[in-house]
Amino acid sequence: MSTPLRVLVVDDELAMRESIAAWLVQDGHQVGKAEGGREALGLMEQREFDLALVDIKMPGMDGIELLRRVKESHPDVLVIIITAYGSIESAVDAMKAGASDYLLKPFDPEHLMLLLEKMGRQKRLMQENKMLRQRLAEGQMAGFEDLVGGSPAMLKVFGQIEEVAATEAPVLIVGETGTGKELVARAIHNRSSRSFGPFVAINCGAQSESLLESELFGHERGAFTGAVKARRGHLEMADGGTLFLDEVGDISQKMQVALLRVLENGSFLRVGGGDPLTSDFRLICATHRDLPELIAAGDFRQDFYYRINVFSLTVPPLRQRREDIIPLAEHFIAVFSRETGKPPPELDDKARQALLSYAWPGNVRELRNIMERAVIVRRGGLIKLEQLAFLEEGPKSGSAPLRLAEIETEHIRRILQAHQWNITQAAAILGIDRTTLARKIKKAGLRSP
Amino acid sequence: MGSESDMSSRVMLPPQVEVVPFGLVSSTAAQVVAANLQALLELNVLVVQPWPEPAHALVAARGQYDAGLILKDLAATEGAPLRLGLMGKDLCLPFLTYVLGESQLGGRAAVMSLHRLSDGEGGGRTTRHLMLERAAKVGLHEIAHVLGLEHCRAAGCLMKFSAGPAGLDRLRMGFCPVCQRELTRLKIELA
Ligand SMILES: Nc1ncnc2c1ncn2[C@@H]1O[C@H](COP(=O)(O)OP(=O)(O)OP(=O)(O)O)[C@@H](O)[C@H]1O
Ligand SMILES: [Zn+2]
Ligand SMILES: [Zn+2]
Repeated sequence: MSTPLRVLVVDDELAMRESIAAWLVQDGHQVGKAEGGREALGLMEQREFDLALVDIKMPGMDGIELLRRVKESHPDVLVIIITAYGSIESAVDAMKAGASDYLLKPFDPEHLMLLLEKMGRQKRLMQENKMLRQRLAEGQMAGFEDLVGGSPAMLKVFGQIEEVAATEAPVLIVGETGTGKELVARAIHNRSSRSFGPFVAINCGAQSESLLESELFGHERGAFTGAVKARRGHLEMADGGTLFLDEVGDISQKMQVALLRVLENGSFLRVGGGDPLTSDFRLICATHRDLPELIAAGDFRQDFYYRINVFSLTVPPLRQRREDIIPLAEHFIAVFSRETGKPPPELDDKARQALLSYAWPGNVRELRNIMERAVIVRRGGLIKLEQLAFLEEGPKSGSAPLRLAEIETEHIRRILQAHQWNITQAAAILGIDRTTLARKIKKAGLRSP
Repeated sequence: MGSESDMSSRVMLPPQVEVVPFGLVSSTAAQVVAANLQALLELNVLVVQPWPEPAHALVAARGQYDAGLILKDLAATEGAPLRLGLMGKDLCLPFLTYVLGESQLGGRAAVMSLHRLSDGEGGGRTTRHLMLERAAKVGLHEIAHVLGLEHCRAAGCLMKFSAGPAGLDRLRMGFCPVCQRELTRLKIELA
């Protein structure tokens, strides 16, 4: 049986209505019946329903019309349209008008069952999101775990985090740089049954193949020059917890094969031999790259992709969830003010406008950096437009590529300056690997003072 | 499964369930279903003389029998408190392409069909033994519905819904503890 649902069966044909209703009751659902649109809408005023099964052909108000009205007055009610064979066009109309799905009469029992299960899952997700939104509105929560944000896009992500946290399946988190993929991975870990185990993160993009190999697998003493002591790798350290492979799109094919073997056999060797080791970890990977495209180009292994991409979760870029910009900005202002010990400043109107209209190529990380600086350079209790480092030239979303490149260069310059030209640190903060940073420095003609 | 002698000793008591074969349906299947109802549900079960095939329930356009109409027939005439019809032909409902069985929840009648129970994987046919095991499972499932039990989500429990024979094969020949407890309660109400 699927999750029990409150179902309203709407059909003018008595036999049809009664037999569908009886079947649903046997399946454990609570069922209401209506013989037409008007009666259905009346019942919905009196009782709450999760799902309406609506026959498309009814005298008076037809199924599509009822569907439209339900979506207006009770948008949370899922609607499935029942239609006869040979009227696919009307099924298409129904989907366009907001139906969750449609059934061709008579339906296959297996199909009906799967559909009810799907509706149950959808309903649960909607309820979780509603609860999250409520908690957000009541100010009990500025987000989820350490993630700030109440936009529909992020609520969806929170719901998915909750869903995958309950499983042991590998998760692939996809999103542009700086969108918060690592925070999402941590949230999954914290919500999972492994939360008492370690969360071990490793950035696969920031190191050479041999270094990554020994970081992951560990090494025995004398495995290579400089290996004066044996060392545990991240695979071992993640035992009982979660292993987070950031920038998984950057690992070499050789390493993909090695990791695939670990995932398949559950055992591995340290670099330089020794006994086979086992480790029980849950794998979460993240990437800002388009892996299917890499696979097509022959740069990423399909078998490895299937292994790591059992669940995939997309973190949307900041420009696609502008509602989150101000709450995030205020969050970072609060965080950095706490460090300085001064009361948190506020954003003036122009600063707000600028933040809202900016394209955010570096996403939340960029916002964070801008706020960090603004808190330091502002005078008095307000943060003004002039103090928002990147916005001085007032770039709007969709600015010319040249502009973006300039911004990037300026950003890199500032980060390098702030970290005394320590390339490793700067690369980590920028979320790119050292080679990429070195290349960008050279291309932009930046020079250490 | 019930031997001749203990079957006949039970019939001395008035039966609680009548198994009603329709037409030329396998009498072995009827006996096996009856024996399993008797063994697992501890009900007195009697296999009665076959009834003629319910011609008026035939949906000519579909070549199947409407399970809902057969239930009405089974519930209408005098006899034991509960009835299970056994069909050889395929059953359907107005809104479903087919059903393995159908019943009145908390009512009097149930009906099941052997038509799909010999289907093997990939279009072949299964052994007769497996067909009979499936028939017993459907019979138990439907009679439990009649007693008032709804579907259950526990893996392997007989009250888990299975659309086809493959689903039946994943069920144990028994109820989960929750359903078992509920059944005991419902049977006391019946008595
Ligand atoms: N929703 C959020 N709420 C609060 N802080 C956030 C949020 N999203 C991102 N951050 C912060 O932004 C910074 C970048 O986040 P994170 O490292 O998780 O991004 P990422 O997507 O993993 O980036 P990359 O692809 O470059 O590794 C971090 O300092 C993180 O704490
Ligand atoms: Zn059932
Ligand atoms: Zn059960």
